[in-house]
This record gives sequence, structure tokens and C-alpha cells, in this order.
Amino acid sequence: MRPVQSWKWLTLVLVALATVAPGGLPIRPAAAQGGGTLVVGLDQEPPTLDPHASPSAVTYQVIASVAENLLYRGSDGKLVPWLAESWTVARDGRSVTFKLRRDVKFHDGTPFNADAVKFNFDRIVDPKFKAGGSRAALGSYAASKVLDEFTVQVLFETPYAPFLNSVASGVLSIVSPKAVRESGDAVHTRPVGTGPFMMKDYVAKDHATMVRFPGYARKAPWSDRTGPALLETVVWKFIPEPGTRVTTLESGETQGIYLVPAQSLPRLEKDASVRVEKLPWPGVPRIWLLNTTKPPFDDVRVRRAVNFAVDKDAFLATVYRGTGLKAFAPLTAVMLDDPALRQAYPFDPEKAKALLGEAGWAPGGDGIRAKAGQRLEIVLNAIEYGGGADPTAPLIQSSLRDVGVDVKIKAQARPPWSEDNYRCATHGPVMFLRSIDPDGLWSLFHSSQVGANFNWSCVKNAKLDGLLADGRREADPAKRRAIYLAVEKLALDEALTVPLVDELAVWAFRAPVQGVKYNFNAYPVLSDATIRR
Amino acid sequence: MLTYVGRRILAVVPVLFGVTLAVFSMLFLVPGDPVKIMLAEFVTTPEQIAQMRAQLHLDEPVLKQYGRFVTNALRGDLGVSIRSRRPVAAEITENIGSTGQLALASMLVAIGLGVPLGLLAALGRNSWLDVVAMVVALLGVAMPSFWLGFLLIFVFSLHLGWLPATGGGDLPHLVMPAVALGMIAAAIIARLTRSSMLEVLGQDYVRTARAKGLGRASVIVRHALRNALIPVVTVFGLQFGNLLAGAVIVETVFSRPGLGRLIVGGILAKDFPLVQGTVLFVAAAYVLINVVVDVAYAYVDPRIRIG
Repeated sequence: MRPVQSWKWLTLVLVALATVAPGGLPIRPAAAQGGGTLVVGLDQEPPTLDPHASPSAVTYQVIASVAENLLYRGSDGKLVPWLAESWTVARDGRSVTFKLRRDVKFHDGTPFNADAVKFNFDRIVDPKFKAGGSRAALGSYAASKVLDEFTVQVLFETPYAPFLNSVASGVLSIVSPKAVRESGDAVHTRPVGTGPFMMKDYVAKDHATMVRFPGYARKAPWSDRTGPALLETVVWKFIPEPGTRVTTLESGETQGIYLVPAQSLPRLEKDASVRVEKLPWPGVPRIWLLNTTKPPFDDVRVRRAVNFAVDKDAFLATVYRGTGLKAFAPLTAVMLDDPALRQAYPFDPEKAKALLGEAGWAPGGDGIRAKAGQRLEIVLNAIEYGGGADPTAPLIQSSLRDVGVDVKIKAQARPPWSEDNYRCATHGPVMFLRSIDPDGLWSLFHSSQVGANFNWSCVKNAKLDGLLADGRREADPAKRRAIYLAVEKLALDEALTVPLVDELAVWAFRAPVQGVKYNFNAYPVLSDATIRR
Repeated sequence: MLTYVGRRILAVVPVLFGVTLAVFSMLFLVPGDPVKIMLAEFVTTPEQIAQMRAQLHLDEPVLKQYGRFVTNALRGDLGVSIRSRRPVAAEITENIGSTGQLALASMLVAIGLGVPLGLLAALGRNSWLDVVAMVVALLGVAMPSFWLGFLLIFVFSLHLGWLPATGGGDLPHLVMPAVALGMIAAAIIARLTRSSMLEVLGQDYVRTARAKGLGRASVIVRHALRNALIPVVTVFGLQFGNLLAGAVIVETVFSRPGLGRLIVGGILAKDFPLVQGTVLFVAAAYVLINVVVDVAYAYVDPRIRIG
């Protein structure tokens, strides 16, 4: 073939084609919109914004300033009035009476009153309604009685002390009965509440927008200011890819993001134009539930040895890098903290080795201990997320190898993982649980929950059952604390679990964004937030 | 021609049958009780589980279930999503536009970049132009789309601030995803165009065209390129499947709404009806597009429909 003279025009075409798209477009990402609009990137899209239908935390991250609750629980953990002015718990613990505010209207103009509260709670227990986390939060709910227009009594079949904490949690927030009855499918994208913001529009897989509710004339419980929200608009963008999410914050396309990936955290923390905020999650930390029925974990000495052998500092340094704190007990420290819990299992490989020796597991030839010709092998059930198994699994594996335990990681997808847990088939999984009341431990440790809920330690212990039942009945906060401290001490003494990491909810905002506050659930409330120009 | 088209369409039937069978059996291939897995996130009563089982007709004989699945699908009823509680067909309709837009735009990138690049390489065979074009093509094939996506975001969003990194809708939101997604297809088309063009340029009819005294451009574009592009058309159809698969990744990287993210979300949420419906739809679309490509192929190359 001869050289081609006309390649020049072809080159022109090529260059034109290659550059016409990316170049020359006069679009810049929404740059710092001081005053009006805050754009926040979230790691996932809520399955629904209906607070009663959602099983997912992301719903409540979005609507924490849209729908309000009878009570409010701030990051200090104290219960204060919100839509209810006061509340009284009956002496038998089987009912709570709320005196409601009289000056509250829903965003659709309908009045908030005792009928609305009754409608909301009855809706959740309606067998025709597919409730999310809200159903469990109502426990043994029997009915609501409207005593007068602004007084409602909530009744329970059996005393249910966790209710006061639940009623302050997003799952039991109050929405407009009229909107629920009349809005059809929109109930999933436009919940109508009473809060300082109201939902405006929702574009699936893209964003949800909420705007200031001009009629908000009260003082929100987290604020020292009366009146509507300061920001005009908040846009929640759904950006599942962590790298992209961080980039949008750095470029100014968003002014805030949730779930900062551990590998980007050091960079953002050094960046003066960004502020990182870390909140402790209430609930159960990332924890290894030890299957107490499967040998050798039927021997408490082996379970204790494992607790002494796991090097949690290594987890924090290698995987978590500032997005978690060392866990000591089956409840995170923000739920219940006590020196006795912190001292239970320091990292002590020598003690672990001694305990294993005591249990009859002698050092073997290949570095793995053995007893009666059997190697000391443990099967750790781990979720395979696609990019690899739960990152704590290989760390547990290497820690335990140092004391002569061979950990096999059974990495699998979530459905078979759950199935194995229910059947108590492995030596237990690593899991976590978000819960705002210590009663969350019921699902972990009550004997009725083996094969039914999260009792994947497969433990049946009458003393534990008794304490957990007491905790459900006891209304006095100090006494409740003592009960759950006893539960935790017992769980540690029996070594039912290996608490690993108290994970933190990590948010990052551009420096001009000020005044973001958080409730006890670690969800942001935004009525006092501003963007400085 | 009509017989050919008719035969092609008939051949689709067994393929689609196989697809429905594969998609339907998904439910039974997953270990454990599908209803329990689907509802794992919710607190449920035994009545609700029974109700769900009835709603999904899991209490009926398998063959009857399959029959219902197929007849419903034929009527456009793909069931109801567990997570969003909306008809799967509605979810698909909502997202098809965005993915279609992305697929089309990335195809434009693939052709607009691939054909000229391959053409240049062929015309300047063994010159620096050829080397550069083929290195670009090699990089295009070798670079995973998510990686290219991050590079584009890094350069055009973070450093230059020209383009938004996330979201769907207008042209600025489309550019980077389309390039990230179309690059692999562009590279493949470039290599194919090059080799096909080289072959055609050696043919007698090209020499004849030149001998007639036609201008160089006219010979290349009207005589050589048109024939050289025939194999490219086939690859185009096959690449469309890759584009749909790539959309899953690209839509996630750029946070674009679309079928890809719908499927990923459905899988993560164990939303069986949603995954089944969407996979069935995508598979059917893939099959139909290949029929269209086959027909187009026959149109540009008469030898196909005659032979």
C-alpha cells in the first residue's frame, strides 16, 4: 500500500470526534452554593422513605429532620420532650401516657393529635402492612387509647421498657395519616411529617430533595433557636462508589458525604478545607459470635483463649484506620461503658496459650495445637462481599495462628451465610447490629432466638434469659443499666463472643458547612446547619 | 430477504425459552428458603411469610409456577419488587431510558473513535500513525472501565472541574460514563476495522476504482470502507451485550440511574422478582438487538441472505 496523502483530513475527523465530547462544555459542578443548598452524598439509596416500612438505616439518615418523634434522644443519650410535652410510665410498666403539643401541624396542613399517634402505631402492627424495623420497636404493643385530643395512652400486652428509647428512634416517627391514606405509592418517596424540612422530590437512583418547612415555629430539641431551618434546600445524592463519593466532596460537587472509606480518611483529615465528624453507633459492635455448641468451642477455656489471642489493635491499625474503636463488650461503649468490661480480655497471647494447654490442646508439629490426634481447627463463617471476605476474618486467622489455632475461613454469599448461622453449623460468624436499646441483646442471647434470630452463639442460658427478661420489664434507668451490665459481664465471663471493633459513623463536610448536629442514632439533624460563604 | 428475517426471528424462540428457564430456576438454585432469604431484612410473622409464599405462588407445583412465570412475562407482568413494592416492569421502564441513553452514547464513542482509528492505522500501515493507533487500542482493551472511569473523574471533575462526576440526565452527565463504557468497544472496533480495511484495500475492485480515476477519498470511503465495515457490524451487536454488562459497573462508578444499578441493588437486597425480571428483560433485549444486527448484516451484505 502506498502512503496516503489524504490522511490529514482523516486525522482532523478523528481529532474532532475524540475531542468534541469531553471538551468545551460550559458546565461546572454545582460550586459552593453558600446560603441555600447543601448537597450530601450518601453511600446507598433508601429502599423507601416510609419510616415504618424501612428496614434500613439510610432512610432515617434522610428523614431525621423531616418526620419527628414523640420523644427525642440526643447524642448525650438523654430523653427529652419533642412532639410529646411529657410522658408517664404506668406503675405496672404496661402503658405509657403522652401529653402532646397542641401547636403542631403536618406539612400537609393537617393537625397533629392523639388520633394521629394512634393511627401511626396501629398502622405498624396492621398484619396487612409490611413493617420494617418499626414492628420490633413496638414490642408487645396492644393498642393506643385516645384519652382526649392531645393525650394518648400506649398499651402493651406485657411490660415493655425499651419502648421509651424506641419511641425516640426514627422507626417510630410520626407521619401524616391523611398523606398515608391518600398518597398511594408516594408514601415511599414523600413521607409527610412535622419536622423543619419537608420532602420535595425524589429521583430514583439519583437524589432526594428536601426543602425548609416555613411553618416550623417551634424550637427543635437539638437547637437553641426557635423557627424554621436555616438552609433552604438539602439534596441527598446517592453515590454508592466510595472513591467517586470522596471525589465529589473534594471537587465541591457535594458539600458533605457519609461513609468515608478508611483508605481516604487520612487524606481528608489532613485537608484543611474538609471537616471529618465521627459518631459512635449505638448497638452491637462488629463482633464474632462464638458457637458455644460446636467443639472445641463447647469448652469455655477455648473461647476465653480466643478472646485473649485476638489482636484488636492490629485491626484498627490495618483495616479501620480511624473509622473504629476497640470493642470490649457485646454493646458498643456509647450504649454502656464500664471499667469492668474494658478489663475483661486484654491482648495476652501467653494467657491464651496457657488456657489452651489447660484445655488439653498441646502444641503440635506444624505449629497447630492438637488433642488426641485431632488438630485445633475452627471454621469462621464470613460474608463474601464480592471484593473479598469480611476483612476481620483474615486478621482473626493470623492472630489465632500465633497461639496454635488453625482458622478456616468459610467465605460465602449472605444467604448461605445466614443459613449456616441459623443452623449453628460453623464456629460462628462476624456480624454487627444497630440498636438504640440494650434490649438488642435479646436477639443475640435469648434462648428463644436460636435458629430464629441472631442468637448465633447458639447459647441457652437460664440466667441470661432471666436477666434479659428483667431488662424488658424494668423501667428505672439506673436499674436497667445494672441489669444489662450484668448481662454483658455474664456474656464476657462465658466468652460467648469476641467483641472486635466499635465502628464509627464517619461523615465529612466541607469546612464552610457548619451546625450539623446528630441524634443518638448517629443520624444528622440539619435545621441549624448553614453554609458560610 | 423476508424468509431470512423470518428464519432469524424463529430462531429467537428457543433462545428466549432457555433464558426464561435459566432466570426462573434462579429461585431454586439459591441455597435455603427463598422467602426467608428475601424477607431476611424485615421482621416478619409466620402469616406474612405464608402470605409471601402465596403471593409468589411458591406453594404450587414447579411446572405450574414456570407456566405462570412465562405467561405473565409475555403479558409484560414481571412481578412486584420486594424492596420497593412496585411492579418490576415499572422499575424497568423508569430506568431503561437512562441506560439506553448511555448505551447509545457509548456506541457513538465506540464507532466515532474506533472506526477512524482503525482506518488511520490501516491507511498508514507500519507508520508511526499505525503504531500510535494500535497502542491506543491496546490500552483501551486493557483498561477496565471502572479504572478509566476513576481516571476521567480525577482529571475532568476533580482537577479541571469541567464535568460533574455523578448523576444522570443531560449531556454533561453523559460524557464521562459514555467514554468509560465505550472505550473497550472502540478499541475492539479499531483493531477490527484495521485488519478488515487492510484486506479490502488489496482487493481487485479497489484497484479498479482507482484505475477509473476516482479520488483517493472516494475510493477509501465509498468502496473500501463500506465493505470493510461488514464484520464490524456483527461485532457491534456482540459488543452491545458487553455494554450492558459494563453499564452495571459504569453506572455505579458515576452514580447514574439505570438498569445496571437496578440489578445490583436487587441482588444486594435479595429482591428475587426484581432481579429475575430485569435479567429476563436485558437478556431479551440482547437477543432482539442481535436479530436486528443480523438483519442489518444481511442488508449490507447480500451474500448472507442468499447463502
